[in-house]
Amino acid sequence: MGKKKFIDKKKSATFQLLARDSSDPNYSDSPGSDRVFVRVDNNPVSFDTIFDEDNNCYNDCQYDNEDSIFADAPNDNGDSGDDYDRVLGSSSHMVVNDKGALPENVRKEILELGFPDDGYNYLIHLREIRNTGGGSAFYHNPKFKPDQLPHDVKAYDASRVQISNSKGNYNEKSIYSVASNTLNARMNKVFDPEVAALLDDSDLLRFGSDVEDLEEDFVVRANTGEEGEGDESGKKLNFVEEFEFIDASVKNADTKSGNQEIANEVRNYQGEEKPRSRRLLDEQFDMLELKEYGSDDDDDDCEGYMAEEEEFLADNLKNVLNENDMDDLEHDDVYKAPADLLHGSKSPKSKELTADIMRRCAEYAENYENESEDEKVMVVQESSDESEQFDCESIISTYSTLDNHPGKIEAPGVTRKKKLAETVSGALSAKSQVISLRGKEKLPLDFLPNSRKAAAEKVKIACSIIPEQHKRKQHGQETKEEKKERKLAIKKERSEARKMKKAMKELYRSETQQAQKVAAISGPSAIRLM
Amino acid sequence: MTYAPMKPTKPGYEEPHEQIRKIRITLCSKNVKNLEKVCSDLIQAAKAKAIRVKGPVRIPTKVLRITRKAPCGEGTNTWDIYELRIHKRLIDLYSTPDVVKQVTSITMEPGVQVEVTIVDV
Repeated sequence: MGKKKFIDKKKSATFQLLARDSSDPNYSDSPGSDRVFVRVDNNPVSFDTIFDEDNNCYNDCQYDNEDSIFADAPNDNGDSGDDYDRVLGSSSHMVVNDKGALPENVRKEILELGFPDDGYNYLIHLREIRNTGGGSAFYHNPKFKPDQLPHDVKAYDASRVQISNSKGNYNEKSIYSVASNTLNARMNKVFDPEVAALLDDSDLLRFGSDVEDLEEDFVVRANTGEEGEGDESGKKLNFVEEFEFIDASVKNADTKSGNQEIANEVRNYQGEEKPRSRRLLDEQFDMLELKEYGSDDDDDDCEGYMAEEEEFLADNLKNVLNENDMDDLEHDDVYKAPADLLHGSKSPKSKELTADIMRRCAEYAENYENESEDEKVMVVQESSDESEQFDCESIISTYSTLDNHPGKIEAPGVTRKKKLAETVSGALSAKSQVISLRGKEKLPLDFLPNSRKAAAEKVKIACSIIPEQHKRKQHGQETKEEKKERKLAIKKERSEARKMKKAMKELYRSETQQAQKVAAISGPSAIRLM
Repeated sequence: MTYAPMKPTKPGYEEPHEQIRKIRITLCSKNVKNLEKVCSDLIQAAKAKAIRVKGPVRIPTKVLRITRKAPCGEGTNTWDIYELRIHKRLIDLYSTPDVVKQVTSITMEPGVQVEVTIVDV
């Protein structure tokens, strides 16, 4: 309101005192140079004071001070606007100072664009980008920062790691001493110029190979000795090794079908070559194959055969590649099946051969398809084979816990057998041919070990019933004593009967327990005996 | 207010950054103690350099308050108030920026923000 301010904000330059980035070469720990003044306003005031520090590191300060609170902020329009909205030539706010150096804002812009700060105004050569017709439109994408790291990534220049300056002793803490002595130079642009040059280098001719223009079948050619024997053996070895390696790796995967698949492929390949004359080797090979397919034994045998087969494979491959059957290989661009060969060829011998091939192919295909079932069978056999060899542990493991219960392990029942023998002999001799099953559980009573007692008691009862019967006939003329006696006798009888019944019950229970024990071992648990 | 003798200037040979300018140092902080310490340090240093200093002007503290319902208790009087106090001090100098740089190169307390505004003359 008319009061004269001490400082007119619009005509002044404002600097903030901020901590200097430790990667700055001017950094030191003294209070004087661990902070730096950073201009924070955008007033059109040119200010060439010591507050801006050295001219050269002005922009370094700008860029290094990303610890400032403004580091995360998106660029104001003013800054990014400067990139492409620059006014050409001299503007109203440019002030040329006494030295003749470029004005501050011009210098700032030049440095921002990446040009060196040597006093020359490069901006006069730059054109402002405007979308005014005549060509492609330029869309300024503020999020596009070429070669810049995203903010959450920090790259450090490892050339500043000072390993030699660490204090001598190589203990475990040496990494920390190295780290503490290191000045980290944080880099915004990650690419080394040399690396970038290499990346851009599309002219890689200097890495080209001397051997040019290989034929398509250079492998075969090499193997057939056109290039010389040395190459041939070397390449063959490689080829064979590859096959062996493939076989080994397949073996390790432990699938029989895989082995056979590869073996099949190989054999099919072999089968196509059969039109040439058969040799002893071929016969042996076929024998081996038949053996392998004929009996699906354990893997050990199979693997043994596979190993042998590999050797034959190697030999056969060698032979195949040695022979001049390249014509056959070419097939004149026509796919020839064995059937075609059969029909095409005139000589009976070749016909026979091709017929043989076809038969064998069919056989192999059949075996290949059926082999999965064979696998299952094989597994079952193996387990039963193993069970023939018992050792103590395995024997015990076959017992159920009913038997193996510590408290119930008993000596085998010798006495029981004796009793059984007695009862059986007794019963057989006494009774008729039919074995009677009595009681709730339908047990053959007479054959039970404890049944002799029961049988004797029954006889006793039978005997005792008879005298009582002819006592009862004197119903009307009984004296009191006789009546009492009779009653007593009856009571006795009944108590005896009761005792008998109880004994029988116990007997039955024990017998069923024994029977259940036996059934538990041998029979299925669905049968309930008690 | 101190009236220190002005530095003798040589007209014609004077470099721009040696001119005596009006310089305002603004100190902001959340805690008073550090702020006052830095303030007094600055003033002492400035006086030692014999420049005109206008003593620390204390701008009224800005208190930013947040009120929330307290997690414990029911009813009207169960509120939590959180506040943040911002203290500001101004120091005006009449000196060359050179000197000011030396003055400000003192140990700084943490949490004190220093801004220097120089009027362009």
